[in-house]
Parts: sequence; C-alpha cells; structure tokens
Amino acid sequence: MEEASGRRSKLTIRSEREREREREREREQYRSSMLQCIFLLSDSGEVILEKQLTGHRVDRSICAWFWDQADSLKSLPVIASPTHYLFQIVRDGITFLACTQVEMPPLMAIEFLCRVADVLSDYLGGLNEDLVKDNFIIVYELLDEMIDNGFPLTTEPNILREMIAPPNLVSKMLSVVTGNASNVSDTLPSGTGSCVPWRPTDPKYSSNEVYVDLVEEMDAIVNRDGELVKCEIYGQVQMSSQLTGFPDLTLSFANPSVLEDMRFHPCVRFRPWESHQVLSFVPPDGQFKLMSYRVKKLKNTPLYVKPQITSDSGACRVSVLVGIRSDPGKTIESITLSFQLPHCVSSADLSSNHGTVTILSNKTCTWTIGRIPSDKTPCLSGTLALETGLERLHVYPTFKVGFKIMGIALSGLRIEKLDLKTIPPRLYKGFRAQTRAGEFDVRL
Amino acid sequence: MFNQFGSTAETLSKASAAVLRIGTDAHLYDDPEDVNIAPLLDSKFESEKCEALKRLLALIAQGFDVSNFFPQVVKNVASQSSEVKKLVYLYLLHYAEKRPNEALLSINYFQKDLGDPNPLVRAWALRTMAGIRLHVIAPLALAAVGKCARDPAVYVRKCAANALPKLHDLRLEEHAPSIEELVGILLNDHSPGVVGAAAAAFTCICPNNFKLIGKNYKKLCQILPDVEEWGQILLIGTLLRYVVARHGLVRESLMLSLHGLDSNGFYEKDGLVSDKGDGDKSDSFDANLVSLVSKCYIEGPDEYLKDTTSVGDNEDVKILLQCTSPLLWSNNSAVVLAAAGVQWIMAPLEDVKRIVKPLLFLLRSSTASKYVVLCNILVFAKAVPSLFAPHFEDFFICSSDAYQVKAHKLEMLSLIATTSSISSILREFEDYIKDPDRRFAADTVAAIGLCAKRLPEIPTACLNGLLALVKQESFAGDLELVDGEAGVLVQAVMSIQTIIERDPLSHEKVIIQLFRSLDSVKVAAARATIIWMVGVYCSLGHIIPKMLTTITKYLAWSFKSEASETKLQILNTAAKVLISAEVEDFQMLKKIVLYLLELGGCDLNYDVRDRTRFLKKMLSYKLACHEPAEDSVASQENIAEHVVEHVFGRKLKPFSPLNLHNRFYLPGSLSQIVLHAAPGYEPLPKPCSFVFEEHDQLSDSDRQREATSDLNGSQESSETVDEDGSSEYDSESYNGSEFSSDGDERNEANDAADPLIQFSEITVSTDQEELRSKRALDLWLDEESSTSNQTPSALDRNQSSYAKISIGDIGSRVKPKSYTLLDPGNGNGLKIDYTFLSEVSTASPLHVCVEVLFQNSSTEPILEVNLEDEEAMNVSDSAEQTLVGKANASYNNVPTLIPMEELSCLEPGQSAKRLIQVRFHHHLLPMRLSLHYNGKKVPVKLRPDLGYLVKPYSITIQEFLATESRLPGMFEYSRRCTFTDHVKDTRMENGKDKFLSICESITLKVLSNSNLHLVSVDLPVANTLEDATGLRLRFSSKILSSEIPLLITITVQGKCNEDLNLTVKINCEETVFGLNLLNRIANFMVETSSSAS
Repeated sequence: MEEASGRRSKLTIRSEREREREREREREQYRSSMLQCIFLLSDSGEVILEKQLTGHRVDRSICAWFWDQADSLKSLPVIASPTHYLFQIVRDGITFLACTQVEMPPLMAIEFLCRVADVLSDYLGGLNEDLVKDNFIIVYELLDEMIDNGFPLTTEPNILREMIAPPNLVSKMLSVVTGNASNVSDTLPSGTGSCVPWRPTDPKYSSNEVYVDLVEEMDAIVNRDGELVKCEIYGQVQMSSQLTGFPDLTLSFANPSVLEDMRFHPCVRFRPWESHQVLSFVPPDGQFKLMSYRVKKLKNTPLYVKPQITSDSGACRVSVLVGIRSDPGKTIESITLSFQLPHCVSSADLSSNHGTVTILSNKTCTWTIGRIPSDKTPCLSGTLALETGLERLHVYPTFKVGFKIMGIALSGLRIEKLDLKTIPPRLYKGFRAQTRAGEFDVRL
Repeated sequence: MFNQFGSTAETLSKASAAVLRIGTDAHLYDDPEDVNIAPLLDSKFESEKCEALKRLLALIAQGFDVSNFFPQVVKNVASQSSEVKKLVYLYLLHYAEKRPNEALLSINYFQKDLGDPNPLVRAWALRTMAGIRLHVIAPLALAAVGKCARDPAVYVRKCAANALPKLHDLRLEEHAPSIEELVGILLNDHSPGVVGAAAAAFTCICPNNFKLIGKNYKKLCQILPDVEEWGQILLIGTLLRYVVARHGLVRESLMLSLHGLDSNGFYEKDGLVSDKGDGDKSDSFDANLVSLVSKCYIEGPDEYLKDTTSVGDNEDVKILLQCTSPLLWSNNSAVVLAAAGVQWIMAPLEDVKRIVKPLLFLLRSSTASKYVVLCNILVFAKAVPSLFAPHFEDFFICSSDAYQVKAHKLEMLSLIATTSSISSILREFEDYIKDPDRRFAADTVAAIGLCAKRLPEIPTACLNGLLALVKQESFAGDLELVDGEAGVLVQAVMSIQTIIERDPLSHEKVIIQLFRSLDSVKVAAARATIIWMVGVYCSLGHIIPKMLTTITKYLAWSFKSEASETKLQILNTAAKVLISAEVEDFQMLKKIVLYLLELGGCDLNYDVRDRTRFLKKMLSYKLACHEPAEDSVASQENIAEHVVEHVFGRKLKPFSPLNLHNRFYLPGSLSQIVLHAAPGYEPLPKPCSFVFEEHDQLSDSDRQREATSDLNGSQESSETVDEDGSSEYDSESYNGSEFSSDGDERNEANDAADPLIQFSEITVSTDQEELRSKRALDLWLDEESSTSNQTPSALDRNQSSYAKISIGDIGSRVKPKSYTLLDPGNGNGLKIDYTFLSEVSTASPLHVCVEVLFQNSSTEPILEVNLEDEEAMNVSDSAEQTLVGKANASYNNVPTLIPMEELSCLEPGQSAKRLIQVRFHHHLLPMRLSLHYNGKKVPVKLRPDLGYLVKPYSITIQEFLATESRLPGMFEYSRRCTFTDHVKDTRMENGKDKFLSICESITLKVLSNSNLHLVSVDLPVANTLEDATGLRLRFSSKILSSEIPLLITITVQGKCNEDLNLTVKINCEETVFGLNLLNRIANFMVETSSSAS
C-alpha cells in the first residue's frame, strides 16, 4: 500500500518535472516578444501593409489563411490559427490583424489595435483603404512609434502629434512645390519625460477656453409586449481645453449618486473621487474624453415606437407609429428607424405619412423621420410579401431607433462647477449637453 | 522639381485624376517601381533619398522582397535628416536578420548616434540597434542598453527597457544575468513610464525572478496608478504573481473558501447570498467548480492549501488590493480586467463584488473586447453565479451584438438565472426565439433547457412553451426553405428531453405529446431524439406502454423513408421495446421487429446493415421464444438475456456538465479565450515558494560586493536593497573600474574586448558624464578581461593606499592652521591665536568650534580675559536656529557666539586654551568680537575659514558617485593648481612608496586646512612608477549651514618627483559657497607648508 503511494508520488513528481521542462522548451522555442506582426487588410482581404515588430517574421500567408476561414471563425476577435494566435478588430472596412505566438493578455492586443485605429483615423481624417494607401508612410511611422518590439511604446495622441506631424493641406502643398517636407520631428516631445505625458509642457494661448460636453447615449430594449425591459444611459464627459501653462481643474457634479459606474481618463486623480466624488485633473491639450459613466434603470424613453404586424396567407400588413412619450423639453431631432426585413420576405411595399422610407437591396429598411410634426403622428405602413410557400411570418424584425436631443442630458446628471486652481486671464468656460440613441431596440 | 508626378504621361494623368491625393504618398504606393530606385538612393539630395526609401517601403508594404537594396540603404543611415533616418531604420529593421553582414556596416553610425545630444536620436539608434538582433553585436547592444538605462531622458530609458526583450531573444546565456540586472535597475526607476516598460521586460525575460520585485514591491505598488496603461496591465500580473509566491493565497478569498473552517456558513453569513434575496442558496457558488478553478490557477497538487495568509495581517496583500482597486475605473479595458483578476484571486469574498460593475461596464466597449470580457465573466459566473445574478439585465441581447457575443450572453443568462429573475429572462428568451437569426434562436432554445434544468421550479412553463414551439416549427411550412430552422426544432426537442430527464414520471403527458408530433416533425435529428425517447421511456407510466404497438407500427411503416440516423434509432428503440414488451403485445411487437430487421438488413447504408445484424444476433433468443416471460432453459441464452438487458435496459445516468470544460486559465489570459494553454502560459507560482531574505541581504552586502567579479546576476541585483537604482548600478560597475580613468586606456580596453567595432567616436566626446558611464559599461561588459588587466600588485597597492590613508592614521600629523586674533603689539603683550577645530559643535549644527589660545607675553598678569559678541546678543534658542538653518537664510541673522569661560587671570608667560563656538553669518565676512581684558574692551575680528564651514560627510564611494552624477553641469566647477609639498617628502623618505607619499601629503594638506572626509584614493593601474597621472582623491562634506552635500575630487597629473598639477573639482548645489571653497582649496594647496616641515 505504502509502496504504491510512494510510486505514485514519484510519478507525479516526474510529471511535474516533465511539465516544467516542457514549458521551458516552449519558452525557448517561442520568442519572448508580445505582438509579432500587424497587418492591415482591406475589405476584400488584400494586405494593405504589414509591419513586422520582431525579428521573428510572420509570413503574410497567414492573412490568406485568415481570410479563407468560415465566417463563424473569422468573426472571432481571438483566433487560434495553426501557427499563430490572431487578434483582430474591424474598423470602417479595414481589418487590423495582429499575430502572436505566446501568451499575452488578449484584451491588451485588442485595445491596442483599437488605439491604432483611433490614431490613424484621427490623422487621416477617416479610415478607408485609399486613405491608408495614400498615407502609408505616415502609417508606418506612426506604427513604429506606437509599438516597439511588440509592446506599446507611445500611444498618447498628444505626443504622437508632436513626433509625427499629421498630414494637412499646407504640408501637402509644400511637398508638391518643394518636393520635400519632413513630417518627422527632430526633437523629442516634451511630454515623453513629464509626469503628465498627455499634456505638452507649457502650451500658450491668448485666450483660455474650457468646454465641457455631456454626451449621452441611451440604450433601451422594448420587448415584443411593448414593455421597457432595459433603459440605461452610457455617457461621456468630453472636454475641449485650451489653457495656458499647467492648469489644475476640478469638476464636480450636483448629483454624482446617479452614476452607476465610471471610467476615467488617466489624468483623473483617484483619491478626490474616492473621497468626495470630485474630478480633479490636469487636462490634456485639446479635445479628450475625461470620463465615461453609466446610469442604470431609467424609467422612460423620450420616444415611443409602436409596431404592429399581422400576417395571413402569404402577406403581412405592417404599421409602425412613432411619437413622443415623455417630452424632454427640447426638440427631438434626426429620428430614424431602421430594421432588417427577414429573409423570408420577398418584397415590401412601405410608405409613410411623414419622412422618407428607403429599402436597400440587402433588405435593410430605413425610415428617416427627422422631427415629429405637431399636427400628426408619423406612421409607416405597408405590406410585405412573403416567399411562396410561407403562410405566416414566424420571425420578426427588430427596430433600431435613432434620435438626437441637443441641450439636455437625459440621465439627469448635472455639472455643478468647474474650478481652476489658478485662474488665467481671459478664461471662457462653456457647458453643453446632448443625448442621442445608442442601442435602442424595439422588438416587434 | 515636380518629380512626384512621375515622368510618364500615365502617372501624370493618374495624379491629376486624384486631385485630393496630391501631396500624399499615393503615387508611391501605387507605382513604387516606376522610377529606378537605385540611383535615387545614391543621390545627394535628401528629398530624393527620401522618395527612394518611401518607394522601398511601399514595396515592403505590398509584400515584395527588396532586400537587395540593403547595402545602398545602409549607407544612408548617416543622413542628418530625421525623416531619412527614420525611413532607413524602418527598412533596416525589416531586413536586418536577412542580411547580417551588411547590417554590421551600420553599427558605427548607431554608436555615434548613441552619443548624440538629442535624446530622440539616441532612442532611435538604440531601438534600431537592439532590433537588428545579431549575435555578433549583442554585447555592444547590451552595452548601449546599459548606458541608455541611465540616460537622463525618460524616453531613452523607456526604449532601453523595451530593448531588453530584444536582446533576451538572442538567448545570450552568458549575458542573461546582466540583462536581468538591468531589468531590476529599470524597475527601480523613478519615472512611471520607464517602470511600465520595465515591467513588460520583466514579464518577457524573467517572470519568476521575484527578487527583483521583492526589492521594490512597495514602490511598484505606489507607482502603479501613474504607470502607463500598457505597463499597468503587465505590472498588475507581475505583482500578483509575486504576492502569491511570497505570501500564498488569502485565507478569506474565494480560492480557498472551500477549505476554510466552515466555508459555506461563512459565505452565507457575509451577505452575498442575501443580495439575491430569494434564498436560492444551492447555486450561490459552485463549490466543486471553485476548487477546480483554484487548482487550475495554481496547477499544483493541493499545494495551495499549505500556506495561506490573511488580508488583515499581511501588509503586502493589503497594498496590492488597495492599489489595484482604483484601476477598475481605468479607461483601458485590459487594465480593468487585469485589476479584476487580482481582486478575484486575492480579495476576501465580500470584496470580490466590487469587480462586478466595472466588468459589466466593459460590455459597452468595442465588439472585440466585449467578446473577451464576456469569456472571462463567464468563468467568474460559473464559479459564483450570485455575483452577477442581480445584473441579469446587462446580458439582455441587443440586435447589434455579434453572434458570438449573443451566444455567450445566453450562456451567461442561463447560468445566473434565479427563481426571481427567471420569469423576466424567459420572457426575453421568447423574444429571441422569434429572431431572424435562427442559429441564435436555436441557442436560445438550448438555453431554456439549461435554465429549466438548473431551476426545478419552472419546467412546466418552459415545457409548454417548448411544446408550442415544436408544434409551431413543425407547421412552419417547408422548413428546407429557411436556414437554421431545423436547428431550432432539434434544440427544442433536446431541451424538452433534458427537462423530462429530471422527472420523467410527472411529464408523461409531454412525452406522449411529443410522440404524437412525430408525424409532423420532419427533421431527422429531432425525430431521432423523439424515437430514442420512445425506447427509453417505453415502460413508463400507464399510457405509454399501451401506445407502444401503434408507435412501433408507425415507425416500421416510415422506416423506409427515414434518414439513416433515424433508422439506427428506430432499430435501437425497437429492440428496447421488445425487451420490455408486455405479454399481450409481445407477438405483435415481435413481428414488427422481425420486419424491421428484414428491412434494415437490406438497407443501402452499411451502418444500418451492421446494426441490424448485431441486433439480430443479440435478440435471437427473444425472437425465438413466444412469450416474453418464458424462462429460457439453456444457460447460454440466459447470458444473452443479461447482456441485452444490460445494453438496452440501462437507466440513464445524469450527465454532468462539469466535465465539459474542466480547464480554467488565469483571468484575462489568452489561454482562457482559446481554451488551451498557449505557449508561455504559466499558472500562478506555487504559494510561498519564494522566500525573500531582505535582512540577510543587507547585512551581507559587503561580502557580496567582494564577490562582484563573479557577476552572479541574482546576488548582484539583490544587494543593497534600500539604495536607489542608479547608485546601486554605479556601485557595481565602479568597483572594478576606478583604476582606469583615462580615455586612451579605455580605448585600448575596448579594442581588446571587441575588435569588430571602434569606439573612437564616442571616446572622443568630452562630456564627463558620458565618459563615465561609457567606461563603466565597458568594464561591466567585460568584467573578466578588465580584472585581469589589473595586476595583482596594482590591486594590492590600491588596497593598501586606501587602507593606510585614513583620517585616523593621519590625524596625528594633521596640523590645523592657526590664525592670529590679536597681535601682542596691539594687545599689550596679550597674544591670541585661534584654530578651527574639526569637532562638531554641541550647540547647534550651525556653529563652528574654534580653539582660542591666549598667551601672555608681557611681564604682568592679565586679568579677566573674555571674548564677547560685539552686539552682546543673547543666544537665541536652538529651535529658531535650526529653523533658520533649514531656510538657508542665516546671513540675515546676527552672528552668535557661545561665550567661553572667562579667564580670571593669565600670569606672564602662561598660556591658556579656551573653546568658543561661533556661528558666522556669512562664510566670507569676519565676525566682530570684543575682547575684554584688564577692564578694557578691544574690538577683534574673527575670520571664518571656509574649510571649516563644512563638516565631514561620511559616505561610501558608491554614494559619492551617485551624488556626483546628480550634480552635473552648473553644479560642477574645477580649478587647476600646482602642488609641491610632496617633493620634499618623497625625497626625504626614499624607501617609501612614492604614490603613497604623494597621497599622504595631499591628504594631509587638505585635511590640515579643511574639515573633510576622505572618501577614497584611487590609483592608476597602468602607470609607470614615476608617473602619478590619474591619481585621484575624493573628499566629501556637508555645508554646515544648509546640510547640502559638497564633493571634492582632486585629480593629479605629472611625475612623482616633480611639481604636480592638480585639478580640483567641486560638485555642490550651493554654487557660491562651492566656488569660494574651490578658490580656498586652490590657494592653500599652492602654499608651501612651512609648518609641515
């Protein structure tokens, strides 16, 4: 008995050791860097450019492999291919594909790719295949600054802008005329060494301005019984600051208790928020997102959408009513309603008494309402013809609602005040708010 | 001039067509090869080079191999244009590994750039040089990294940290300790940006070298919120691993909750369960799963039980939890997830809740991150469903979710459903079933089954819905038309089956309904499941057995038209039915079965034929007899019956989902997403496997320093825990390096070390800082060769001189200079001399002790001699003085004098010594005193001696160098002077070592004239016996009034027997004082000391 257990323990020890050795071997075999390569793919699967990050090169055939995968696999953000682990995000038709062979936090890779996409679209004024190709040198230079040996190096937009000048009309003209315009800075941006890397040292403005925007998105789900199942606000405090020197700002809310959860820009100090819910920070220069927050369990949406559908013997009658449920006090603008007609619908004949209805070839139907007129309730009505052989509709579309309300934050969050520690001369402060629809689903 | 438009008409038209693309690099990308690149590369215009390089990059982007241009490109590395440089670097890095020989050509330029005053240029050079990854240049790259690790620019240090993994990739076994040591240095950097990059390097290079973390653990925790987001992610993981290795898991944490005294009781007490408020305790957490999870995290056979710790009494754990919890508010999802992982593993149960809301907030980020976050939340929810149960609404599906996200959300909902929330969840599910995405609808149906299984109270409602669904689906017309419709039906039947499984008897009617629907259900898989149920439940209740004959008849009738999957199931079922058949139906059933077996035997599908043959054999005994209960006589048949019973009559065993995914990986890891251990994945270290001997290390640091030459990385890096990084580094590299001080020598050493590269360009640089670090690195790189350069005798001498010239030994020979306060001519025969003493005043740190020697050279006694402050100022209290001293504003203050004991009488010829303590109000201005004697009052002036307005500051050579390196530029000033004292001395004692006597005389001179601490005496090694050049003495002190350190370095030049040229250098923040003292030193060095002879 004893002997047996002894043998077993010996066995486990050996397997332990073997496992360790194996791991050691694995570590030997694979490079220690994180991301090995980044590819940018066009929407047709063509490699626009590749950036090798380590000496261990990744052949671009991996992209072909990736592109040939079935949709269910291809749409996964993290894919284990036979040779590499792939991370991907898709932004405006461009697929950002990163490869690694070793364990690393996948969210880190994904967040980094998102950051790259953000920076590129900021630099190029959008993101599409042509823009990337036209400015491939800038893309290369940016990637080179942003990542070194597979680990993010400089991702702070402020610093990047100082290192590599964004393309603009002036530089373009200059390069046409003189044939020579370097967009690479000769000097190291001051932010790299400071303890507030998001801020260039000592910017100077003749007039000092701070603007605070509350931008809120309303997520709501109305189920098929017309009940509001979920209604919450996802908001951002966006700021635009042009302040001289090294300003220290404090922003406080009148009712911070409504906030369910929040996330902060790195500039926000945690302590003051923990102790008395005050945002204290040294702002970056220019536009930035100070914080994002969530307010849950709202009781009401500003709009109601009442869809009805009756189907009988191969034809369906649809009618959708849209109106104001609870008046927010400001005009509700750019109201749209879009939905995907089910596959089994062969043709649709829809019309509305207000606004325009368009049906695209991929069966996406969009009803642009704009503002709700005072004299009537906008109504979309019409018939859907089902495919032959189908008697009734058994799957129903979901309506996605879009709207925008300027001048109000539906969450009810209110900014109390914005203070500067040292008030510069000629200071302008401004506050704005707006709410728009986020994921607003009305199910039929 | 307009060369962008290209030379051909075609490109011209292209360019004009895309007006918007003018000025961009579009044409370069589209037609990179429409001009000849090679001549452009050799052009003398930067713009043309630039264009050529851009074209090459365009070719690289498009996947062409343009490595044949390598030699031409490399030449351009010398370009002054930053853009050309950048482009060349981009190209180089892409191809360097392919063309190692040509890549070497560029090394010299990097070396040169590394010395560039522009930090950006240095950083670029370092990044590229390390990125080239050639074994040949690895030592150079390592030296460069080491140098840049102490660069004044944060960005350069950050790049140095990033370069370490590149070197590590080359698998330089012999340099591994040095690399790890550099990681340690960079981890100890005071800039958060560098620490972040160093954490990344640590994770890549030596994730288990916890000594490096142990030294700085608290500091790393404190700096964590300021570290860059990317660094935070890895640093959090590193700190977690360290704490687990050092202190083990937390007793109150989830991971160990099972092994606590009374885990379940404890758990229910602390309110997590009451959160749910529905008393559904069974799933507050899944005990087995949690223990499985923790086993997976640690991967050891129950070792995690051995040593545990508690948050309450462990400071390290507490700090870790404290510093990671605000990061749950980070803007970066990966940081939030990493922080949540730490809380999940280490936080006490009741605190784990705090990760819930931040995690849920992450669900509002990009699709890709949403998916990864959900995968992780799923694991958390599997172990502790109650955490997320109140937030079920967050997992409701919106139409824009990707399919994978929807599937995960469904799984989540079915995991966290409770009796209170199930009704809302089921209502949502009803909506989902009508979703146009039928695959999703099918998943929903499966999820309903899971919910019903978990919550025994709800099946009836579910079942009715599902049955309705089955009915509806089967009537939905031609199912082939709609994709995925079949899947919904199959799932519905399977869900019904899972629900029935729990309690078949009470669901008899449902089973019958299903049987009835057989006629309308057309999907093979669904039919097969229903038919299978016929077999399993054939003897259940009262009604079903009566229906059997009909059903079997129906099956036999439809057999021909079935799919083979269904056919197999029909055959199985027929066998089961026959076995359990009652007497009255037996004959009938037997016939049907025989008929089925006939049919099956001729089937086209060989699986079906095989199955038929098998069954025929098995059932032969049954088919042969006439009554089901008839006892078979032959024992052989009896066995067959047993076998058949066993094969077909076995009851179902409950299926445990636990076995499905019994591997868990650390939260936030890649492995958890791909569900296998990715290469490089490591579970948490063994709890308490790392023992950190802080105190031992400290006390042994001296001994360790002796062993420096071994360059044992871990030992090395763990010495002198509380010193700051740079000084520690200095200490290490300087220990063996002081003997070499001249550029030429350094050059030689370099050449010997690595013949491939010439350092000449760098060594030419006159920047002191530069030189110093350079030399240190070379030595550090080639410790072996350097130490061998140092001949034993030289070493010996070095040691001996160091040992002999100490203040204690020389003290007897130090003769402080005395000054005259009162001339006997002026004072009627009273002569007063004073000397400054090196003792520190007892009154206050600002006072200087002065010994006053009274001598009566007259013939009459002098009475009542006393010295007083002229303004007769009261001694202010010490508190004020220190305050003033701190404020460094002593100038404004009235000088004070601590009066001496009055001399009542001084006989002729008699002399007396008195001690006074004086505070000078300015280091140059004399202090007015009034001398009283014989009732007279004479004003006298006490002149301060700068050399005594400082006090010895006892520091080690390492500290000295660290302080010195912090005081460059304007805080450093030097003066030259000559020194002759030694000449006499050397000649006098001919037998004595010349160097030694020079050292002694210089030291003597210095110490006789000022109050300093001798730090070290360094001897040049390669010198001839006559040449004293390179001899260096270091003194340190603190300014009395302000406690500011003041460093003095005296470097000797010249022959031993001749007059020496001394360079006196002072490093001090107090510039004015420093300069004055420098002059003073230069002055007294020149004075020939008549008193010494």
